[in-house]
Amino acid sequence: MTKTIRVATDVGGTFTDLLVLESDDANGTSIVRSAKADTTPGGYEEGVFDVMAKGGVAADAVDFLAHGTTVVINALTERTGVKVGLITTQGFRDTLEIARGNRPDFFNLHYQKPEPFVRRSLRRELPGRMDYHGREMQPLDLSPLPDIVADFRAEGVEAVAVCFIHAYANPAHEQAALAELERLWPEVSAISSHQITREWREYERTSTAVLSAYVQPVAERYLQRLDAGLVERDFGGGLYIMQSNCGVDSVDTVSRIPITMVESGPASGVWGAAELGRLIGEPNVLALDIGGTTAKCSLIEDARVRIKTDYWIGRSRATAGYPIMVPVVDLVEIGNGGGSIAWVDDFGKLRVGPRSAGAMPGPAAYGRGGTEATTTDANLWLGRINRDYFCGGAVEADMDAVQKAIEAVGARLGVDADEAARGIVRIANNNMVNALKLVSVNRGFDPRDFTLIAFGGGGAMHAVALAQELGVTKVVVPADASVFSAWGMMMSDLRRDDVVTLLVDLDADHAEAIEAAFAETETRARDRFASEGVDAGAVRLSRFGRFRYQNQEHTTEVPLGADPVTAERVAASEAAFHETYEREYTYRLDAPVEMVGLHVVATVDIGKLSMTARQATGRGLEDARKGTRRVDYALEGIREAAIYDGERLEPGMAFDGPAIVEDSGTTVVVHPGNHAEMDGYGNIRIHIRN
Amino acid sequence: MTAMTNDPITLEIIQNSLQSAADEMFAAMKKTAMSSIIYEVLDMGTGITDAKGEIACSGAGIPAFVGVLDKAVTVIVEKFCEPGAVEPGDVFVTNDPYYGGVTHLNDIVVVMPVFAEDRIIAWTANIAHNSDVGGMAPGSLTGEATEIFQEGLRLPAVKMIARGEPIQPVLEIIKVNSRMPDVLEGDVWAAIASVRIGTARLAEIAEKYGAATFEQAMTSFMDYGERVSRAALKTLPKGTFTLAEEQDDGQVFNVTITIADDEFLVDLRDNPDQATNPVNTSRDGVMVAAQMIFKSLTDPYSPCNAGSFRPIRLLTREGSVFHAKEPAPIGFYYEIDLRVYDVMWRCLAQHMPERLAAGHFASVCGTFIGGIHPDTGRQYTIIEPQLGGWGGREGMDGNTAMFCGFHGETFNCPAEVNEARNGLYVDQMALNVEPGGEGEFTGGRGIVMDYRVRADDGFLTMGYTRSKYPAWPLDGGNEGSPNYVDFIPREGERQRLAFVSGLKTRRDDVIRVVTGNGGGFGDPKKRDPARVRRDVRNGLISAERAQEVYGVTIE
Repeated sequence: MTKTIRVATDVGGTFTDLLVLESDDANGTSIVRSAKADTTPGGYEEGVFDVMAKGGVAADAVDFLAHGTTVVINALTERTGVKVGLITTQGFRDTLEIARGNRPDFFNLHYQKPEPFVRRSLRRELPGRMDYHGREMQPLDLSPLPDIVADFRAEGVEAVAVCFIHAYANPAHEQAALAELERLWPEVSAISSHQITREWREYERTSTAVLSAYVQPVAERYLQRLDAGLVERDFGGGLYIMQSNCGVDSVDTVSRIPITMVESGPASGVWGAAELGRLIGEPNVLALDIGGTTAKCSLIEDARVRIKTDYWIGRSRATAGYPIMVPVVDLVEIGNGGGSIAWVDDFGKLRVGPRSAGAMPGPAAYGRGGTEATTTDANLWLGRINRDYFCGGAVEADMDAVQKAIEAVGARLGVDADEAARGIVRIANNNMVNALKLVSVNRGFDPRDFTLIAFGGGGAMHAVALAQELGVTKVVVPADASVFSAWGMMMSDLRRDDVVTLLVDLDADHAEAIEAAFAETETRARDRFASEGVDAGAVRLSRFGRFRYQNQEHTTEVPLGADPVTAERVAASEAAFHETYEREYTYRLDAPVEMVGLHVVATVDIGKLSMTARQATGRGLEDARKGTRRVDYALEGIREAAIYDGERLEPGMAFDGPAIVEDSGTTVVVHPGNHAEMDGYGNIRIHIRN
Repeated sequence: MTAMTNDPITLEIIQNSLQSAADEMFAAMKKTAMSSIIYEVLDMGTGITDAKGEIACSGAGIPAFVGVLDKAVTVIVEKFCEPGAVEPGDVFVTNDPYYGGVTHLNDIVVVMPVFAEDRIIAWTANIAHNSDVGGMAPGSLTGEATEIFQEGLRLPAVKMIARGEPIQPVLEIIKVNSRMPDVLEGDVWAAIASVRIGTARLAEIAEKYGAATFEQAMTSFMDYGERVSRAALKTLPKGTFTLAEEQDDGQVFNVTITIADDEFLVDLRDNPDQATNPVNTSRDGVMVAAQMIFKSLTDPYSPCNAGSFRPIRLLTREGSVFHAKEPAPIGFYYEIDLRVYDVMWRCLAQHMPERLAAGHFASVCGTFIGGIHPDTGRQYTIIEPQLGGWGGREGMDGNTAMFCGFHGETFNCPAEVNEARNGLYVDQMALNVEPGGEGEFTGGRGIVMDYRVRADDGFLTMGYTRSKYPAWPLDGGNEGSPNYVDFIPREGERQRLAFVSGLKTRRDDVIRVVTGNGGGFGDPKKRDPARVRRDVRNGLISAERAQEVYGVTIE
């Protein structure tokens, strides 16, 4: 029997997860295993090797290893990157510090603007200027560079970022400066803005180049250690690194520009939802990932994930954050997870999150000294989570601590513990409903046209309530929901998103210029793959245009067909824009349309898993039934719910709510009136009769 | 479901949904607007009021627009009070400060009723700065105006859409009065889309929970706002505080603030008569300034609604610069409101330095540049506020390069976008390293930005305050530095400007915008020498000046 072994490892804040899929090449059936090990800060690769050992994975037998890591986002948020020097256009060294001047927390007169990552003395300028067409206005003068390099060396700079005005339109000056820099200082880590993004807005591009330089040595060293450790263990398969754009990429490519990993964790879950939707014939999906501290959601339309390039790290209602102009899956993340703390403000209002009990002390139920009620505690109190099978039986739920914590909330609200617990769950649900609305309703989509795919440790517990609130009629809880992100990683393609600013009127006269720009970008994408030994025929390309009405600023992205842009076909693109625009904003204008940018997605299938439906063995539903217990459904009252063992459910088994499905990693709450069914891939499909 | 529930969780959920509706309205407007002052500067706001016009919640880009929309709704509620005068699908419009518009004619307010169970349960509203609404000068703002009639088309709270059907004559009148008719039309439609989205959302909520519960949620939300404010008011130092401050133009502004356990009383009666030039404001505008300082002093973080402002009492004198009478021009109202805001801030800061920093550059620094784009042949108009330095406070240097206190989630225009869109080059955008703002904790830095004009026959209009008297210091710090424009023509004399209207510009003239450093806090001699050395290394201050002002010798 020939087998293919695919492994995904995902380094999270607390745990490093492993998912192994061993499939039989002859009949397509596969065996799934998962494992968890502690994350090992300081040397994350150790946690990866640990979890592989724990999961019984021999590196030399693995064909495909997908890897996701938080090394980049941690380096940024913990400020553990390297000292960066910036080289920029004369007159613009302060761009990084001036930023955009905004103050989101606007009634707070003690607001503190985020500190720039490079202090002024390490921000240096070179004469030389392009205009917005990419035409040279003033030649680049490299003569100050040796002095700048000498200063940077003396100051202990480890990485250099280069960003020039209008380099998105013409990168020649950046290329020349980078070449000279590498000649003068070959050992320094250097990056220029056009290598990461070809979009306009100098502050965002400068910030992107700087943050990329800041994490580059750290991430590169990490990836090298991981790679070397795998080689030591005789790993001979393909190693791929998860990216923020829902694709994976090679270690070499990611090592050069690691900033693209910044949101890779959430991206793999969203991608998993897109792939699962495709597999089960549900192309329109709302993906919901509820973890310990946050909930993340994203919308997938027609099996396509939405990719944006206006990502900001650390941005909130309280602070401006820092922009990173790389392709990142469009998602909304809120501070609402299983560990989110419920509290009552000075005026009697109940809130949940964003503060979290974290891993230590964790929810009160962990019995590690947590005294504040969390969403998990409320779910336990209401009987949704089995108090005798907490964390898959690994932890004995400290119900006294839960009671005390919830009663404390109730006392402040003037209600009993039951009412307080219901309130906590309802407020948490409302926070998540609002987040789901942000990705759907706010963007002109009707959630009723979507299927909710819920995963992460807490997704299945809240999914039905959220769906009912939004009018969604179909909920899917995937198999191994708690490690679903790792599955998504395994299903990823090699993927690169190129976004290029191109400002032209969208009309027949400019069709040629638009086609030329697409062709150039596509050629660049193909050439890059070719240089890495990827066959040109294997590269799939898709095109998107970013359009707006003349004089607007923000653009609407519209998918374009694969056919070349011609004078005749421009009208169709324009019509598609009007239609998309009207759906999102309720009106259309009889105004000229501009193209502002193009977006090319290049993907290569790297032999991802193809799933085969399992057959039922003929066991009866009773086999999976563990009994009943009283569950408080908040809005639907207290009901006697049937309890099922998720691991014993088989394809085709069906039952009605009220019910609870439990396995070691997940609790699925099926509300009264729901109909649930297990499909051939181990997913629980819940139908809501609204 | 019509029975009213008093379940606090349900009310809380409705209140959260109000905020998300206001935010959604805001996002829709921001993304569809055609004027950069709306989509980048975010000179716009959205709001939801109750049936009477009391503000329940706002989605705002700037704090100065939080308390504006209720005033417009109130005027419409009074004007259209006959039964049947307001129907579902109607949309109203006003831009006139003498008809609830509060600010100036450029700011068009669009208002829509929300119906449930056959009655009005709420209003959604939107305000945004439009690039040109007619009047005697491009961009509608000019220091030359002596009457409001010269400042553009006046829309005195009229119906623009009836039962969902646009009233074409009204829309045509609005459009034809603008020098940028397509942009104005686009922006007005963006505003309409925004209130429609909000109205649809609120109607869904009311349908789900019942109109009575919805109304109860609004009422209790405002009561909550009031409780938060009153609790915080109790913690403020009590007493009567006064300040008289000379302005750049020689006028003296007087303020008296009395803080009591249950009232925040602002008395602005003793102030000059209204001016014949457009440096007046409506009483509503001054109220917004008072609301802003009050909110910042009490609880800047909690939701902001009509209840939050209930403890405020404002006294003004009709016919004064702070309570202008029709037809006084009001184009530059924002500088006057900002002056009042700054005077109130300064008046209180000396008595509560732990709550209030030293003064900031405190001018919108509204800059209007226009002409023909040489690449497209199309007219362009830049309308933008500027970034400047904020004051130092105990323990912290002031912020560098931020918009003034009237702004908030406002973004400056990137040079790359500016050059493509407008007919000029940005030769530099740098920190202002002029002296000023030294202290134990320094004021933040203003900016220096050079616009080089690319074609003849352009214009510059600008009006900056704090050009003569810079940002004020606290506790022994040094005052900041002034706001001004250095006009450097290719030929002819360099001019330093504070107010100018319609100055002609030619190719290769440079308009250098210079904004002030914030005021310093504390004696400069007490500044940590390590911080001084860092400033010198970063080129913010010379070694000589470090020696002179801070007494720190740089090796």
